[in-house]
Amino acid sequence: MFKREELSVDGVKTVVHSAGAGEPVVFLHGAGTIDGFDFMAPWAEKFRVIAPYHPGFGESGDDATFTDLHDYVMHYLELFDVLKLDTVNLVGLSLGGYLAAKFCSEHGHRVKKLVLIAPAGIIDPQHPILDVLAVPGDQIVGLLASNFEVVKKRLPERPNLDFIGDRYRESGTVARLFWEHPTDPKFMRYLHRIKVPTLIVWGDEDKIVPVQHADTWRKLVPHADIRVYKGAGHLVHLEKPEAADAIAKFLG
Amino acid sequence: MAQPLRFNCMHFMPYAHLPENHKDYKSVWVNLSNKHYDPEKGHALYQRYLAELVLADQLGYDAVVVNEHHNTVYSMMATPNLIAAALVPQTKRARICVWGTPPNLMLPNRLAEEYAILDVMSNGRLEVAFPLGTGMEYWANPVSPATARDKFRESLKIILQAWTADGPTTHYGTHYTYRFLNPWPRPMQRPHPPCYIVGTGSPETIDIAAEYGFGYASVFVTQERCRELNENLRKRAGDFGHTIRPEQLPILTFVYVAETEERARQEYVPHLKAFFEDYVRTTPQYLAPPGYLSVDQLKIRAAGADKMHGGFDFDLISKSFFIAVGTPEKVANQLGHWAEWMGSSHINAVMHVADMPHWKTVKNLTLFAEEVMPRLRKGAPQQIAAE
Repeated sequence: MFKREELSVDGVKTVVHSAGAGEPVVFLHGAGTIDGFDFMAPWAEKFRVIAPYHPGFGESGDDATFTDLHDYVMHYLELFDVLKLDTVNLVGLSLGGYLAAKFCSEHGHRVKKLVLIAPAGIIDPQHPILDVLAVPGDQIVGLLASNFEVVKKRLPERPNLDFIGDRYRESGTVARLFWEHPTDPKFMRYLHRIKVPTLIVWGDEDKIVPVQHADTWRKLVPHADIRVYKGAGHLVHLEKPEAADAIAKFLG
Repeated sequence: MAQPLRFNCMHFMPYAHLPENHKDYKSVWVNLSNKHYDPEKGHALYQRYLAELVLADQLGYDAVVVNEHHNTVYSMMATPNLIAAALVPQTKRARICVWGTPPNLMLPNRLAEEYAILDVMSNGRLEVAFPLGTGMEYWANPVSPATARDKFRESLKIILQAWTADGPTTHYGTHYTYRFLNPWPRPMQRPHPPCYIVGTGSPETIDIAAEYGFGYASVFVTQERCRELNENLRKRAGDFGHTIRPEQLPILTFVYVAETEERARQEYVPHLKAFFEDYVRTTPQYLAPPGYLSVDQLKIRAAGADKMHGGFDFDLISKSFFIAVGTPEKVANQLGHWAEWMGSSHINAVMHVADMPHWKTVKNLTLFAEEVMPRLRKGAPQQIAAE
């Protein structure tokens, strides 16, 4: 049902999958793309759902000059211009949540509502984010969800070279951004600039971004509605249909 | 053979006291705990290994070779310039090859300075090689593997500028800014010490060597692949107006000489087995950190790794790599043949591996110097090639 569109955004090949009509909901994926976009399919009944691949991930092209997260903020400003989207509802997962929050703290007037799913970006020495760059790829997949079935069905039956190559490429993109500086001490400083209605969802068994970070978000974005789902891991929106439903309800 | 062969004695200086349960560890690099390092044992090994390289100089080897690795039993030379500095006053004739410090792991001006100091101290005996650094080094150092190749190129440019242009000069780049690039001293050799690129054959490193007209030292690639890389380099260098000379293409060889073939194998093979099974043991993740390889290279290597099954097989490994083990006559013939076949006049011989004891190393060094080198230096090259 998703329509695939290949765009050139400031010279970067950018592939966007979209479906439905209505208010735009843009999903910013995380540091990998195996989890897919299909969870948004039901939302297409009410919204125009838009799922771009970030440069350096999935079907989009590479740009070696993208060396920090701000390059991606600029990329999305450009993409929204190309798509003629004045304001969007922004949903970001993990790294994409970090990006969505950063985008919103800088360009809040382009965002109508903000949803963060297990967002990265918070520095909490007591509860550090898992350094995914240091974890072997075959071990990461097991850490993504409490219910491994939601991940397993998206994996090839046995690892093949293309799959391994695709994952290696995406981790290379992540390394380009975060190998030397995994955190940005300035990110949290400007989160108070997020003024739009905000929903944050988390699984209480998240093994990638600890659920304790929700407490910091609560302090920095006090108006945010924070919902924690029991028994779910990092991919809470895939593991708990009620989490995906809550997001759709919040947006609608 | 158009010119006499040159013989290096290369030493990895391994920490040869692996923990008893070391087979339980998937890697002896990167994360093998340094709690297993005993400085007393380290001291004894440094004394011994330095003496072996000094002996190589006394026996008439043309060069001694040291290199750099981090977080591993494979090498005790995390900073090879210290080792080279220790060798300078103890050696007289041999060239001192630091092959080498990955420029990405040091400030480029500082590397240019250290090399210049070694070259001046040794009265122009220094040769350097620039490796990108193995994937493992990037896990051990605070440097991104994803921007490593770009940074490597910029570092090289700075080092050569520091050596060849009258300072002070400036450099405003992506990774470094120099307002006063003006290192004292400058190298003894003009325009600079002989340079090589070290690599496992990725097109990127071949291209850098071609562009600068540097030598290329292939490591851990098969005989066929090594020959192909030399061929590629000659062609690519031509595109940049450079001609690669035979001495610029060192052949990394593992050598052991004894009175008989049988004895050579008996004395050597267990150590070579330990080298391949234990001292280079690491994981695919450590070999290829994110962004270190292009996706195409990663796939080629992953496909290759799938084919590597079974344990250590001396005969098989001897056919794949440059490994010369046997009587002086056999080893001489083999090296002569390889040099001819590779279009190289430069034998970079590893004379000690893994846990090989001192007496075997001395025996190997001596027999090779007295019985092998003379055959090849004044031997009948045509005849050797025909054999």
